[in-house]
Amino acid sequence: MRAADYIEQSFTNLRKMKLRTFLTTFGVIIGIGALVSMIAFGQGMQENITKEFKELGLFNYISVFSGSEGEMNHRRGPQRRHFRQQQEDLAGLDEKMLEEIRRIRGVERVFPEVRFPAMIRFNNKENFTYIQALPAVACQSELIKLKAGTAFDSNDANALIISESMLESMDFNEPQNAVGQQIELATLTIDSNSFNPAMITSIVSGQGNFFEKESYIFTIVGVSRRSDFGGPGLLRSDVIIPIGTSNKMKKLSATSIRDFFESEENQNNYSMASVKVSSVEHIEDVKQRIEQLGLRTFAFADMLEGMKKGFMLMDMFLFSIGMIAITVACLGIINTMVMSILERYREIGIMKAVGAADSDVKKIIFFETATIGFLGGVFGLVFGWLVSMIINVVVNQILARRGVPYVNCFSFPWWLCLGAVLFSILVSLSAGIYPAIRAAKVDPVVALRHD
Amino acid sequence: MTETTCLVETQGLTKAYTSGRRQFFALSGVTLSVKKGRFLAVTGVSGSGKSTFMNLLGGLDRPTSGSIIVDGKYISKMDKKELTLYRRHQVGMVFQSFNLISSYTALENVGFPLLFSDVSRKERSRRAAQMLDKVGLTSRSNHRPSELSGGEQQRVAVARALINKPKILLADEPTGNLDSKTAGQIMQMLADLNRNQNLTIIMISHEENLVRQFTQDIMRLQDGKVIEQKTIR
Repeated sequence: MRAADYIEQSFTNLRKMKLRTFLTTFGVIIGIGALVSMIAFGQGMQENITKEFKELGLFNYISVFSGSEGEMNHRRGPQRRHFRQQQEDLAGLDEKMLEEIRRIRGVERVFPEVRFPAMIRFNNKENFTYIQALPAVACQSELIKLKAGTAFDSNDANALIISESMLESMDFNEPQNAVGQQIELATLTIDSNSFNPAMITSIVSGQGNFFEKESYIFTIVGVSRRSDFGGPGLLRSDVIIPIGTSNKMKKLSATSIRDFFESEENQNNYSMASVKVSSVEHIEDVKQRIEQLGLRTFAFADMLEGMKKGFMLMDMFLFSIGMIAITVACLGIINTMVMSILERYREIGIMKAVGAADSDVKKIIFFETATIGFLGGVFGLVFGWLVSMIINVVVNQILARRGVPYVNCFSFPWWLCLGAVLFSILVSLSAGIYPAIRAAKVDPVVALRHD
Repeated sequence: MTETTCLVETQGLTKAYTSGRRQFFALSGVTLSVKKGRFLAVTGVSGSGKSTFMNLLGGLDRPTSGSIIVDGKYISKMDKKELTLYRRHQVGMVFQSFNLISSYTALENVGFPLLFSDVSRKERSRRAAQMLDKVGLTSRSNHRPSELSGGEQQRVAVARALINKPKILLADEPTGNLDSKTAGQIMQMLADLNRNQNLTIIMISHEENLVRQFTQDIMRLQDGKVIEQKTIR
């Protein structure tokens, strides 16, 4: 038989049982639709994160750390002692060390992590937050996406960049109008000479107050846009000020209670610094050189690799859920085809009597199931796309109310579209194996006697 | 091949069925030879083994023992693939209940066997129309079986059986479901095909009058055995 004849036969036979074919194909449509939209969701998330990383230029950044107490807490016994020894061998992250890093070939920029707690007052509202200090050059780069205004032009400017969400939390919803306005920033200070750890008990019990407030007035020069994806980045605060200005401020540079107990010698150390390399190709070399200085490193590119593995697991999980729907659809195909064979028992006998080979009978059944698979695949793809678009619209409406820019949660790459149709045909063909074998085994003598 | 050449030959043809521990012989040692261009009637009461004999000759079933030789080839020794080709090209079969495909038109039913011979759709239609013309049903070519009379359906079935130009036409009680007038017309058509196209026909029938009127040879079966073989004309 010719391929065109098989196709014509399969359409003719499927047309004979319109309702059953429609219901069976609909099962496949739902299965493929579910599978496609789930994989498209996984793809969409992955693309959004990768895009965000690229836009922020995070692939060019390496985070550099000195030793960490937090890591030691996970270790016990000899392992803990060994780790403590390792920590002692690690170099501190001070200005001298930052200068060393700047000299490494391929390093474009190095700036330390400076964060401190403060109370901000604006629009007659107060809010507690962490302030991050950054060099002007970093603020002028792709790291900060501005909704309004500009980045500060010098490291010593009395300027401040505040996030759109922080403004909203202070009931100020017009970012453009915030630019140029003044904002009060109150830091906590303490006389470290008179402070000792025993005082904590009295602070906690409310019997003493050893902190003093220091107020500063800043001018808002820019409003940063909310990130599309709230993943890890170098910007970790809603309020950013120039690093030079920060250095002149009286403040507790404490990000944890541990900082209170640091030795005087370590007070000048930063817990973290960010290193920008001129090109992604230099990442590995620069990382090695920094590690040779006794520091620990973390590259966002490495993190993406880990995230990709996570996404693969998520895709596999979503794929498994979609496969449940496909399995049910397969059972529907098997049921439909077996019923069809029983109904066409005599017809199969006639086919064999006039010279059809077993392989012809098998191929006719396979073409019928492949047709169901093809239609289910194409319409399932359309169905999955439509459902995804509806979900996308609803999700974006909810996110828009929170000021989050439009995010395309689903992605339909060409391989997913083509793969969905091919997979549907393949799965349908596998569902046709049993009915095809059963049809080929029909005994023409018995079938021709069949009523 | 001359008219006297033997086209179909069976030697000790036996077909046994097993039910539990018991064995039933549907056919037992049937030996027969049919020359090319002859019209043979196989008669016998119900259960005498006529249909079993026809199924074996048609390559639809396999004998338990004995041999079938058609045009010098041992049908009984053929594998599945060879039997399929034998059914496709060497024999045409007509049944009592017509066995037409109800969803197809007369034209599509006649052209149906050509589907398995890789014949194009256009050529199938052309040859099927030609064949329908031969059996006098051109005007009914686009009708489905349910829209045709019993006689017309059987003529469509004959046209289908002949579409691949077989060497033998096997007819299993082709007039069994027809009234006497229509049965006579079908028998006349078969006799004409036999005479005009030198087509070898082996037909099962239990209608003595029609057999005597139209066929040339008779073989009578009883309990799976040949009890009489004679030439009428």
